[in-house]
Amino acid sequence: MLNDAAVRMLGRLPMVLWLTAMWAVLWGDASPGTLLAGFGVGAGCYAAAKLPHLPVRLRFRPLRAALLAGRILLDLLTSSVQMAYYALHRPGRVRGAIVAVPLRTDSDLLMAMVSGGLSLVTGSQTIELDREGGVIYVHGVPIRGEGDVPRLRRDVRRMEELFVRAFGSAADIADFEATEREMDAARAAGRGER
Amino acid sequence: MTAADWATAILLPLGALFALTGTIGMVRFPTLLGRMHASTKPDTVALLLILAGAAFRLPDVPTALPLALVAVFQFMTMPVLAQTLGRVSYSRGMVVAEHLVTDELEEVLEKRRAETGEAGRGPVDGQG
Amino acid sequence: MNALDVSFMATGAMLAAAVLLAVYRLVRGPSVLDRVIGLSTVSVLLVCFIALEVAVRGDTSYVGVMVSIALLGFIATLTAARFAERRAHDRG
Repeated sequence: MLNDAAVRMLGRLPMVLWLTAMWAVLWGDASPGTLLAGFGVGAGCYAAAKLPHLPVRLRFRPLRAALLAGRILLDLLTSSVQMAYYALHRPGRVRGAIVAVPLRTDSDLLMAMVSGGLSLVTGSQTIELDREGGVIYVHGVPIRGEGDVPRLRRDVRRMEELFVRAFGSAADIADFEATEREMDAARAAGRGER
Repeated sequence: MTAADWATAILLPLGALFALTGTIGMVRFPTLLGRMHASTKPDTVALLLILAGAAFRLPDVPTALPLALVAVFQFMTMPVLAQTLGRVSYSRGMVVAEHLVTDELEEVLEKRRAETGEAGRGPVDGQG
Repeated sequence: MNALDVSFMATGAMLAAAVLLAVYRLVRGPSVLDRVIGLSTVSVLLVCFIALEVAVRGDTSYVGVMVSIALLGFIATLTAARFAERRAHDRG
Protein backbone atom coordinates (compact mmCIF):
# COMPACT_ATOMS: atom_id res chain seq x y z
CA MET A 1 0.00 0.00 0.00
CA LEU A 2 1.16 3.48 -0.83
CA ASN A 3 0.75 6.09 1.83
CA ASP A 4 -0.71 9.56 1.18
CA ALA A 5 2.61 11.30 0.75
CA ALA A 6 3.74 8.84 -1.89
CA VAL A 7 0.46 9.24 -3.80
CA ARG A 8 0.88 13.01 -3.71
CA MET A 9 4.43 12.69 -5.00
CA LEU A 10 3.27 10.47 -7.85
CA GLY A 11 0.57 12.98 -8.77
CA ARG A 12 3.21 15.66 -9.08
CA LEU A 13 5.56 13.55 -11.16
CA PRO A 14 4.12 14.43 -14.61
CA MET A 15 4.50 18.14 -13.95
CA VAL A 16 8.07 17.73 -12.75
CA LEU A 17 8.87 15.57 -15.78
CA TRP A 18 7.46 18.24 -18.08
CA LEU A 19 9.61 20.87 -16.35
CA THR A 20 12.63 18.61 -16.74
CA ALA A 21 11.91 18.21 -20.44
CA MET A 22 11.68 21.98 -20.84
CA TRP A 23 14.97 22.37 -19.00
CA ALA A 24 16.66 19.87 -21.32
CA VAL A 25 15.26 21.59 -24.43
CA LEU A 26 16.44 24.99 -23.24
CA TRP A 27 19.91 23.68 -22.51
CA GLY A 28 19.91 21.97 -25.86
CA ASP A 29 21.19 18.63 -24.67
CA ALA A 30 19.82 15.60 -22.89
CA SER A 31 22.85 14.29 -21.03
CA PRO A 32 22.20 12.58 -17.65
CA GLY A 33 23.72 15.50 -15.75
CA THR A 34 21.41 18.03 -17.39
CA LEU A 35 18.39 15.82 -16.79
CA LEU A 36 19.29 15.31 -13.15
CA ALA A 37 19.82 19.03 -12.58
CA GLY A 38 16.56 19.80 -14.39
CA PHE A 39 14.69 17.28 -12.27
CA GLY A 40 16.14 18.85 -9.12
CA VAL A 41 15.31 22.41 -10.14
CA GLY A 42 11.83 21.39 -11.36
CA ALA A 43 11.00 19.55 -8.15
CA GLY A 44 12.37 22.43 -6.08
CA CYS A 45 10.37 25.09 -7.95
CA TYR A 46 7.24 22.98 -7.83
CA ALA A 47 7.59 22.49 -4.08
CA ALA A 48 8.30 26.20 -3.54
CA ALA A 49 5.32 27.31 -5.64
CA LYS A 50 2.87 25.31 -3.45
CA LEU A 51 0.41 24.91 -6.31
CA PRO A 52 -2.97 23.49 -5.43
CA HIS A 53 -3.18 19.84 -6.26
CA LEU A 54 -5.93 19.16 -8.77
CA PRO A 55 -7.04 15.62 -9.36
CA VAL A 56 -6.49 15.05 -13.06
CA ARG A 57 -8.81 12.48 -14.53
CA LEU A 58 -8.25 12.75 -18.20
CA ARG A 59 -7.53 10.39 -21.00
CA PHE A 60 -5.52 11.23 -24.03
CA ARG A 61 -6.56 9.94 -27.45
CA PRO A 62 -3.80 10.82 -29.91
CA LEU A 63 -5.93 10.57 -33.03
CA ARG A 64 -8.74 12.72 -31.64
CA ALA A 65 -6.25 15.19 -30.22
CA ALA A 66 -4.58 15.48 -33.64
CA LEU A 67 -8.00 16.13 -35.14
CA LEU A 68 -8.61 18.83 -32.54
CA ALA A 69 -5.20 20.42 -33.12
CA GLY A 70 -5.76 20.42 -36.86
CA ARG A 71 -9.19 21.96 -36.42
CA ILE A 72 -7.80 24.71 -34.15
CA LEU A 73 -4.92 25.48 -36.51
CA LEU A 74 -7.29 25.65 -39.49
CA ASP A 75 -9.74 27.88 -37.61
CA LEU A 76 -6.90 30.09 -36.40
CA LEU A 77 -5.54 30.51 -39.92
CA THR A 78 -8.82 31.07 -41.78
CA SER A 79 -10.24 33.47 -39.24
CA SER A 80 -6.96 35.38 -39.04
CA VAL A 81 -7.20 35.92 -42.79
CA GLN A 82 -10.80 37.02 -42.28
CA MET A 83 -9.81 39.47 -39.54
CA ALA A 84 -6.98 40.80 -41.72
CA TYR A 85 -9.53 41.48 -44.44
CA TYR A 86 -11.85 43.32 -42.04
CA ALA A 87 -8.93 45.28 -40.58
CA LEU A 88 -8.26 46.73 -44.02
CA HIS A 89 -11.82 46.94 -45.28
CA ARG A 90 -14.35 48.96 -43.27
CA PRO A 91 -13.59 47.79 -39.70
CA GLY A 92 -16.24 50.17 -38.40
CA ARG A 93 -19.00 47.95 -39.68
CA VAL A 94 -17.86 44.78 -37.95
CA ARG A 95 -20.26 43.71 -35.25
CA GLY A 96 -20.06 40.96 -32.67
CA ALA A 97 -22.38 38.96 -30.47
CA ILE A 98 -22.26 37.41 -27.04
CA VAL A 99 -24.05 34.08 -26.90
CA ALA A 100 -24.80 31.83 -23.96
CA VAL A 101 -24.11 28.20 -24.69
CA PRO A 102 -24.97 25.52 -22.13
CA LEU A 103 -22.10 23.07 -21.90
CA ARG A 104 -22.78 19.36 -21.96
CA THR A 105 -19.73 18.34 -19.96
CA ASP A 106 -19.50 18.79 -16.22
CA SER A 107 -15.77 18.30 -15.73
CA ASP A 108 -13.89 21.36 -14.42
CA LEU A 109 -10.80 20.60 -16.41
CA LEU A 110 -12.64 20.00 -19.66
CA MET A 111 -14.60 23.23 -19.22
CA ALA A 112 -11.37 25.14 -18.72
CA MET A 113 -9.91 23.51 -21.82
CA VAL A 114 -12.95 24.30 -23.95
CA SER A 115 -12.88 27.88 -22.78
CA GLY A 116 -9.17 28.13 -23.57
CA GLY A 117 -9.61 26.53 -26.96
CA LEU A 118 -12.36 28.98 -27.85
CA SER A 119 -10.21 31.91 -26.80
CA LEU A 120 -7.44 30.52 -29.00
CA VAL A 121 -9.49 30.59 -32.17
CA THR A 122 -9.63 34.02 -33.73
CA GLY A 123 -13.35 34.47 -34.19
CA SER A 124 -14.35 33.75 -30.64
CA GLN A 125 -13.43 34.58 -27.10
CA THR A 126 -14.74 33.41 -23.77
CA ILE A 127 -16.19 36.25 -21.73
CA GLU A 128 -17.49 34.38 -18.75
CA LEU A 129 -17.86 30.85 -17.50
CA ASP A 130 -20.79 30.13 -15.23
CA ARG A 131 -19.54 27.05 -13.40
CA GLU A 132 -22.73 26.45 -11.40
CA GLY A 133 -25.06 26.54 -14.38
CA GLY A 134 -22.54 25.03 -16.76
CA VAL A 135 -23.04 27.88 -19.22
CA ILE A 136 -20.28 29.49 -21.25
CA TYR A 137 -20.60 33.05 -22.58
CA VAL A 138 -18.71 33.54 -25.79
CA HIS A 139 -18.07 36.70 -27.76
CA GLY A 140 -17.85 36.09 -31.50
CA VAL A 141 -16.61 38.30 -34.32
CA PRO A 142 -17.55 39.01 -37.08
CA ILE A 143 -21.31 38.61 -36.94
CA ARG A 144 -22.98 39.94 -40.07
CA GLY A 145 -26.53 39.48 -38.89
CA GLU A 146 -28.93 37.35 -36.90
CA GLY A 147 -28.11 34.40 -39.15
CA ASP A 148 -24.54 34.19 -37.88
CA VAL A 149 -25.57 33.77 -34.25
CA PRO A 150 -26.64 30.10 -34.57
CA ARG A 151 -23.42 29.47 -36.50
CA LEU A 152 -21.36 30.82 -33.61
CA ARG A 153 -23.34 28.69 -31.18
CA ARG A 154 -22.75 25.62 -33.35
CA ASP A 155 -19.01 26.37 -33.49
CA VAL A 156 -18.87 26.51 -29.70
CA ARG A 157 -20.69 23.21 -29.36
CA ARG A 158 -18.46 21.55 -31.93
CA MET A 159 -15.33 22.74 -30.14
CA GLU A 160 -16.70 21.33 -26.88
CA GLU A 161 -17.39 17.96 -28.48
CA LEU A 162 -13.88 17.81 -29.97
CA PHE A 163 -12.30 18.54 -26.59
CA VAL A 164 -14.44 16.02 -24.71
CA ARG A 165 -13.73 13.28 -27.24
CA ALA A 166 -10.01 14.02 -27.27
CA PHE A 167 -9.36 14.34 -23.53
CA GLY A 168 -12.41 13.19 -21.59
CA SER A 169 -12.43 9.99 -19.60
CA ALA A 170 -14.99 7.31 -20.45
CA ALA A 171 -17.24 8.67 -17.69
CA ASP A 172 -16.94 12.20 -19.09
CA ILE A 173 -17.98 11.04 -22.54
CA ALA A 174 -20.92 9.04 -21.18
CA ASP A 175 -21.99 12.09 -19.17
CA PHE A 176 -21.60 14.30 -22.23
CA GLU A 177 -23.74 12.04 -24.39
CA ALA A 178 -26.43 11.69 -21.73
CA THR A 179 -26.70 15.47 -21.35
CA GLU A 180 -26.79 15.87 -25.11
CA ARG A 181 -29.68 13.40 -25.39
CA GLU A 182 -31.47 15.26 -22.61
CA MET A 183 -31.02 18.59 -24.41
CA ASP A 184 -32.18 17.13 -27.70
CA ALA A 185 -35.26 15.68 -26.03
CA ALA A 186 -36.00 19.03 -24.39
CA ARG A 187 -35.67 20.78 -27.73
CA ALA A 188 -37.87 18.20 -29.46
CA ALA A 189 -40.51 18.76 -26.81
CA GLY A 190 -40.38 22.45 -27.72
CA ARG A 191 -39.26 23.79 -24.37
CA GLY A 192 -35.95 24.98 -22.99
CA GLU A 193 -34.68 26.43 -26.24
CA ARG A 194 -31.26 26.97 -24.74
CA MET B 1 18.90 28.80 -52.87
CA THR B 2 17.67 25.49 -51.51
CA ALA B 3 14.06 24.44 -50.93
CA ALA B 4 14.46 25.19 -47.21
CA ASP B 5 15.61 28.72 -48.04
CA TRP B 6 12.55 29.22 -50.20
CA ALA B 7 10.32 28.02 -47.35
CA THR B 8 11.96 30.60 -45.09
CA ALA B 9 11.64 33.31 -47.72
CA ILE B 10 7.90 32.66 -47.95
CA LEU B 11 7.03 31.95 -44.30
CA LEU B 12 8.78 34.95 -42.73
CA PRO B 13 7.08 37.74 -44.74
CA LEU B 14 3.77 35.90 -44.52
CA GLY B 15 4.03 35.87 -40.73
CA ALA B 16 5.04 39.52 -40.65
CA LEU B 17 2.07 40.33 -42.86
CA PHE B 18 -0.26 38.75 -40.29
CA ALA B 19 1.42 40.74 -37.52
CA LEU B 20 1.03 43.94 -39.53
CA THR B 21 -2.63 43.44 -40.45
CA GLY B 22 -3.33 42.39 -36.86
CA THR B 23 -1.94 45.63 -35.50
CA ILE B 24 -3.67 47.63 -38.23
CA GLY B 25 -6.89 46.05 -37.00
CA MET B 26 -5.89 46.91 -33.46
CA VAL B 27 -5.65 50.57 -34.44
CA ARG B 28 -8.73 50.68 -36.65
CA PHE B 29 -11.40 48.57 -34.95
CA PRO B 30 -13.94 50.74 -33.12
CA THR B 31 -14.57 48.48 -30.12
CA LEU B 32 -12.31 47.12 -27.43
CA LEU B 33 -13.32 43.52 -28.04
CA GLY B 34 -12.80 43.95 -31.76
CA ARG B 35 -9.32 45.29 -31.15
CA MET B 36 -8.64 42.37 -28.85
CA HIS B 37 -9.67 39.87 -31.52
CA ALA B 38 -7.65 41.71 -34.13
CA SER B 39 -4.43 41.83 -32.17
CA THR B 40 -3.95 38.83 -29.90
CA LYS B 41 -4.76 36.03 -32.31
CA PRO B 42 -3.23 37.05 -35.63
CA ASP B 43 -0.11 37.70 -33.53
CA THR B 44 -0.08 34.04 -32.59
CA VAL B 45 -0.33 33.02 -36.24
CA ALA B 46 2.43 35.49 -37.10
CA LEU B 47 4.74 34.15 -34.42
CA LEU B 48 4.01 30.58 -35.49
CA LEU B 49 4.83 31.30 -39.14
CA ILE B 50 8.00 33.24 -38.32
CA LEU B 51 9.17 30.48 -35.96
CA ALA B 52 8.51 27.92 -38.70
CA GLY B 53 10.45 30.07 -41.14
CA ALA B 54 13.35 30.32 -38.70
CA ALA B 55 13.27 26.56 -38.11
CA PHE B 56 13.94 25.95 -41.81
CA ARG B 57 17.23 27.84 -41.47
CA LEU B 58 18.55 25.53 -38.76
CA PRO B 59 20.62 22.45 -39.58
CA ASP B 60 18.63 19.72 -37.77
CA VAL B 61 15.56 19.01 -35.66
CA PRO B 62 17.19 19.01 -32.17
CA THR B 63 18.50 22.55 -32.76
CA ALA B 64 15.04 23.69 -33.81
CA LEU B 65 13.34 22.15 -30.75
CA PRO B 66 13.68 25.28 -28.56
CA LEU B 67 11.68 27.20 -31.17
CA ALA B 68 8.85 24.70 -30.73
CA LEU B 69 9.01 25.44 -27.01
CA VAL B 70 8.38 29.14 -27.72
CA ALA B 71 5.36 28.20 -29.83
CA VAL B 72 4.03 25.95 -27.06
CA PHE B 73 4.35 28.79 -24.54
CA GLN B 74 2.50 31.14 -26.85
CA PHE B 75 -0.29 28.58 -27.24
CA MET B 76 -0.53 28.14 -23.49
CA THR B 77 -0.44 31.80 -22.50
CA MET B 78 -2.52 33.39 -25.26
CA PRO B 79 -5.92 31.90 -24.29
CA VAL B 80 -5.36 32.85 -20.66
CA LEU B 81 -4.67 36.45 -21.67
CA ALA B 82 -7.57 36.63 -24.10
CA GLN B 83 -9.94 35.23 -21.51
CA THR B 84 -8.77 37.54 -18.74
CA LEU B 85 -8.99 40.58 -20.99
CA GLY B 86 -12.44 39.55 -22.20
CA ARG B 87 -13.76 39.13 -18.68
CA VAL B 88 -12.23 42.36 -17.41
CA SER B 89 -13.49 44.41 -20.35
CA TYR B 90 -17.01 43.09 -19.83
CA SER B 91 -17.00 43.56 -16.08
CA ARG B 92 -15.72 47.12 -16.52
CA GLY B 93 -18.67 47.82 -18.78
CA MET B 94 -16.47 48.58 -21.76
CA VAL B 95 -18.36 46.43 -24.22
CA VAL B 96 -20.34 48.70 -26.52
CA ALA B 97 -23.86 47.39 -26.91
CA GLU B 98 -24.44 48.92 -30.38
CA HIS B 99 -21.79 46.68 -31.85
CA LEU B 100 -23.38 43.52 -30.53
CA VAL B 101 -26.07 41.72 -32.46
CA THR B 102 -27.13 39.90 -29.30
CA ASP B 103 -25.84 39.94 -25.76
CA GLU B 104 -27.15 36.93 -23.89
CA LEU B 105 -24.89 37.54 -20.89
CA GLU B 106 -26.50 40.94 -20.33
CA GLU B 107 -29.94 39.30 -20.55
CA VAL B 108 -29.00 36.82 -17.84
CA LEU B 109 -27.46 39.50 -15.64
CA GLU B 110 -30.55 41.63 -16.05
CA LYS B 111 -32.75 38.76 -14.94
CA ARG B 112 -30.50 38.10 -11.98
CA ARG B 113 -30.50 41.76 -11.02
CA ALA B 114 -34.28 41.82 -11.15
CA GLU B 115 -34.36 38.81 -8.82
CA THR B 116 -31.85 40.05 -6.27
CA GLY B 117 -32.44 43.79 -6.65
CA GLU B 118 -28.74 44.31 -7.06
CA ALA B 119 -27.42 47.13 -9.23
CA GLY B 120 -24.42 47.31 -11.49
CA ARG B 121 -22.92 45.10 -14.09
CA GLY B 122 -20.57 42.53 -12.70
CA PRO B 123 -19.14 39.13 -13.46
CA VAL B 124 -21.52 36.20 -13.19
CA ASP B 125 -19.10 34.04 -11.34
CA GLY B 126 -15.87 34.67 -9.47
CA GLN B 127 -13.82 32.18 -11.52
CA GLY B 128 -10.55 33.15 -9.86
CA MET C 1 21.12 40.00 -52.96
CA ASN C 2 18.86 36.98 -53.29
CA ALA C 3 15.25 36.33 -52.39
CA LEU C 4 16.18 35.31 -48.87
CA ASP C 5 17.78 38.68 -48.08
CA VAL C 6 14.79 40.46 -49.57
CA SER C 7 12.45 38.41 -47.39
CA PHE C 8 14.48 39.23 -44.27
CA MET C 9 14.25 42.93 -45.05
CA ALA C 10 10.55 42.81 -45.86
CA THR C 11 9.86 40.91 -42.64
CA GLY C 12 11.88 43.38 -40.59
CA ALA C 13 10.15 46.35 -42.17
CA MET C 14 6.66 44.93 -41.64
CA LEU C 15 7.40 44.00 -38.03
CA ALA C 16 8.78 47.47 -37.40
CA ALA C 17 5.63 49.04 -38.81
CA ALA C 18 3.56 46.71 -36.63
CA VAL C 19 5.52 47.74 -33.53
CA LEU C 20 4.89 51.40 -34.33
CA LEU C 21 1.16 50.79 -34.63
CA ALA C 22 1.12 48.79 -31.39
CA VAL C 23 3.01 51.58 -29.62
CA TYR C 24 0.43 54.04 -30.96
CA ARG C 25 -2.27 51.96 -29.21
CA LEU C 26 -0.11 51.72 -26.11
CA VAL C 27 0.34 55.50 -25.91
CA ARG C 28 -3.09 56.66 -27.02
CA GLY C 29 -5.20 54.20 -25.05
CA PRO C 30 -7.96 55.34 -24.72
CA SER C 31 -8.63 52.82 -21.93
CA VAL C 32 -6.28 50.94 -19.66
CA LEU C 33 -7.20 47.71 -21.41
CA ASP C 34 -6.21 49.14 -24.80
CA ARG C 35 -2.82 49.85 -23.33
CA VAL C 36 -2.67 46.32 -21.94
CA ILE C 37 -3.44 44.91 -25.40
CA GLY C 38 -0.79 47.18 -26.88
CA LEU C 39 1.72 45.95 -24.34
CA SER C 40 1.04 42.30 -25.02
CA THR C 41 1.26 42.90 -28.77
CA VAL C 42 4.61 44.65 -28.42
CA SER C 43 5.99 41.77 -26.39
CA VAL C 44 4.83 39.20 -28.98
CA LEU C 45 6.32 41.33 -31.76
CA LEU C 46 9.60 41.48 -29.84
CA VAL C 47 9.67 37.69 -29.78
CA CYS C 48 8.95 37.73 -33.54
CA PHE C 49 11.94 40.02 -34.03
CA ILE C 50 14.22 37.64 -32.16
CA ALA C 51 12.85 34.76 -34.23
CA LEU C 52 13.79 36.78 -37.31
CA GLU C 53 17.26 37.22 -35.85
CA VAL C 54 17.48 33.45 -35.38
CA ALA C 55 16.52 33.02 -39.04
CA VAL C 56 19.09 35.56 -40.24
CA ARG C 57 21.97 34.11 -38.24
CA GLY C 58 20.89 30.50 -38.38
CA ASP C 59 21.74 29.80 -34.74
CA THR C 60 19.59 29.49 -31.66
CA SER C 61 21.67 31.13 -28.95
CA TYR C 62 18.93 33.73 -28.47
CA VAL C 63 16.16 31.27 -27.70
CA GLY C 64 16.58 31.76 -23.95
CA VAL C 65 15.96 35.48 -24.42
CA MET C 66 12.93 34.67 -26.54
CA VAL C 67 11.38 32.43 -23.89
CA SER C 68 12.14 34.97 -21.16
CA ILE C 69 10.52 37.85 -23.05
CA ALA C 70 7.49 35.73 -23.94
CA LEU C 71 6.90 34.68 -20.32
CA LEU C 72 7.70 38.11 -18.90
CA GLY C 73 5.29 39.73 -21.36
CA PHE C 74 2.61 37.23 -20.38
CA ILE C 75 3.03 37.88 -16.67
CA ALA C 76 3.15 41.65 -17.18
CA THR C 77 -0.03 41.66 -19.27
CA LEU C 78 -1.85 39.39 -16.87
CA THR C 79 -0.87 41.50 -13.89
CA ALA C 80 -1.96 44.71 -15.60
CA ALA C 81 -5.30 43.16 -16.59
CA ARG C 82 -5.91 41.88 -13.06
CA PHE C 83 -5.01 45.28 -11.66
CA ALA C 84 -7.49 46.96 -13.99
CA GLU C 85 -10.15 44.49 -12.88
CA ARG C 86 -9.56 45.13 -9.20
CA ARG C 87 -9.77 48.88 -9.69
CA ALA C 88 -13.07 48.44 -11.49
CA HIS C 89 -14.46 46.44 -8.57
CA ASP C 90 -13.31 48.99 -6.01
CA ARG C 91 -15.10 51.71 -7.89
CA GLY C 92 -18.31 49.80 -8.62
